[in-house]
Amino acid sequence: MIKLLQIIIDGGLVGLVYGLVAVSFVVIYRASKIVNLAQGEVLVIGALLLWTFTLGAPKFGVQIPFLVGIVLTLLACILFGLILERLVFRPLIGQSPFAIFMASIALLVMLRGFAQLIWTAETRPFPQVLPSGALDIGPFLVSTRLLIGGIFTVVLATTLHLFFTRSRRGLRLAAVAEDHNIALSLGVSVRSAIAVAWILGTIVATCGAVVLLSGRVVSLEVASIGFKALPVALLGGLESVRGAPLAGVLIGVGEALAMAYLDPLTNGVASNVLPFAVMVGVLLIRPQGLFGWKKIERL
Amino acid sequence: MLPTGVNFATYAGEARLLKTARSRVLLALLLAALLAAPLASGPYVLGVAVQGFIALIAVLGLHVTVGMAGQINIAQSAFVGVGAFATAKLSGYGLPFWVVVPLAAIVTGMVSVLFALPAARVKGFYLALTTLAAQVLFPIVILGLPTEWLGGLVGMPVEPLVVGGFTISSPRQFYYFTLVLAVVMTAAAFNLHRSGFGRALKAVRDNDVAAQVMGVDVLRTKIYAFFVGSLFAGVAGACTAWFLQFVTIESFTLFASIWYLGMLIVGGAHSPIGAILGVLFITVFQEGLHEVGTMIMRSNAREAGGAIFAATNIALGASILLVLIFEPRGLAHRWTVLKNTIQLWPFPHR
Repeated sequence: MIKLLQIIIDGGLVGLVYGLVAVSFVVIYRASKIVNLAQGEVLVIGALLLWTFTLGAPKFGVQIPFLVGIVLTLLACILFGLILERLVFRPLIGQSPFAIFMASIALLVMLRGFAQLIWTAETRPFPQVLPSGALDIGPFLVSTRLLIGGIFTVVLATTLHLFFTRSRRGLRLAAVAEDHNIALSLGVSVRSAIAVAWILGTIVATCGAVVLLSGRVVSLEVASIGFKALPVALLGGLESVRGAPLAGVLIGVGEALAMAYLDPLTNGVASNVLPFAVMVGVLLIRPQGLFGWKKIERL
Repeated sequence: MLPTGVNFATYAGEARLLKTARSRVLLALLLAALLAAPLASGPYVLGVAVQGFIALIAVLGLHVTVGMAGQINIAQSAFVGVGAFATAKLSGYGLPFWVVVPLAAIVTGMVSVLFALPAARVKGFYLALTTLAAQVLFPIVILGLPTEWLGGLVGMPVEPLVVGGFTISSPRQFYYFTLVLAVVMTAAAFNLHRSGFGRALKAVRDNDVAAQVMGVDVLRTKIYAFFVGSLFAGVAGACTAWFLQFVTIESFTLFASIWYLGMLIVGGAHSPIGAILGVLFITVFQEGLHEVGTMIMRSNAREAGGAIFAATNIALGASILLVLIFEPRGLAHRWTVLKNTIQLWPFPHR
């Protein structure tokens, strides 16, 4: 019984990390109607930027205080979002969803190429932003890093949800997510919405990288978390920031249970297949996800 | 398509733009050149050409699914992989190649239908996600199956290809084998545009509600679009399996799928010419980068290798983006414009 509960707690906390990455998907979709398949690569770029400004800087003979490094990372994320908006997505406003989708795929290849060119494929240590170790809560062992990350995810998702549903600026972004042309005709700037979307998305993805990697190592392979978070974003509903952490917990717990009880029987397949089986199932049964906007057709 | 303002005063002028005996002669010359090419090229170039033909077959399939029917498919490489594993398994039973190729194609088509079924509920990008699931699940499932079935992590050796008593093994023999298949599949793709099914595909792409009103069964057409596209992938997979003589999941990654899509987009999704031009452009471009890369590596540091690999990725991504932004109709449109300009020369208008 205690083993089962421990598995559920661990799975839930890992699921909240998926949820955090899924929030970065949702933020971009919710503000610009772009489904960004390259989100895993964005996360890696964020992580590498943070490495550059903290652990990497001394190698170039520059000493940067830790907090200044974080601020510099945030500024770099903002710059990154602005560059993407100006060079890639501004020329594509009003183009077919197919073109925008293909652009995100092209971005996936390109960002990976840039990450490899600038930082090379080597594995490097990631700064210890969150404390390591584990807490004893009753009979259970809870990772401090994941616990802080989980609380952060829930707080962030709630804040962003309030921003998107209560503030005037957030509602404008919702209009862009509804339809680019209608938003333009109502005087909503699609350009600034896309810029805001990518800045927010990059920052949230970088936060995801911090929770996922703190005190561990960062390499280009980390990008595969993007494809783990995609089913989570879909289950929660692509328009729902609040749905992402909940869906993350569901998928994380399911994955942990499958890993503990089904994997020995299925040669390790069950836990890997589960998120994607859930994704196909969601698409078949309830395409809008748990909390998404109900639309019969999209794109 | 001609630009507006081009009018024909004489029938002879208009006939120059239509299919004529001359275009047949040019096609025959092209085929003759392709047949004669191995006489003048080394094994490396022939190997590149074989991989180009295989990519062409896969991209032609993608052209049916993505270009004609408008259904995004980011799992073409996984489908090629299914065809390759099917070929490895079937040729292991000692079946002749003319049974194995169609069977592998049909197996691949069946697998793709599984992932096309959600078309009943969702469309567009959401359907693309189910193909993404296919791409991600492909290696997981192969690894999870018992090793005796499909080789698992190690992969599977493939029986050598035997055509009419001859064992095909040298690059030159593979060149002719894949050339014949590529020509057949290209002819099929061109003809598909003129068939009722091809028109149904395009109707679904352009407006599925209107297509339904016109009496096209939209769901069935979408599923067939995946099926037909994967038949091409299956043939490409069979060629890959025989050419590499060994199949592993390493050869069929998401990145390969993106390369196929990139070739299609750069060439122009809406016509088979686009598939040909895209494969040609990207292959030549990639080989050029490799040449430059090896030159730099010989003269310079060893870390240049990774940089060249990265530069290839950046170049592919950049060329897709540039085409999407500046010429969404792809190289095929530029090709048509160029052809018209040459045919109307020396007068811009006639």
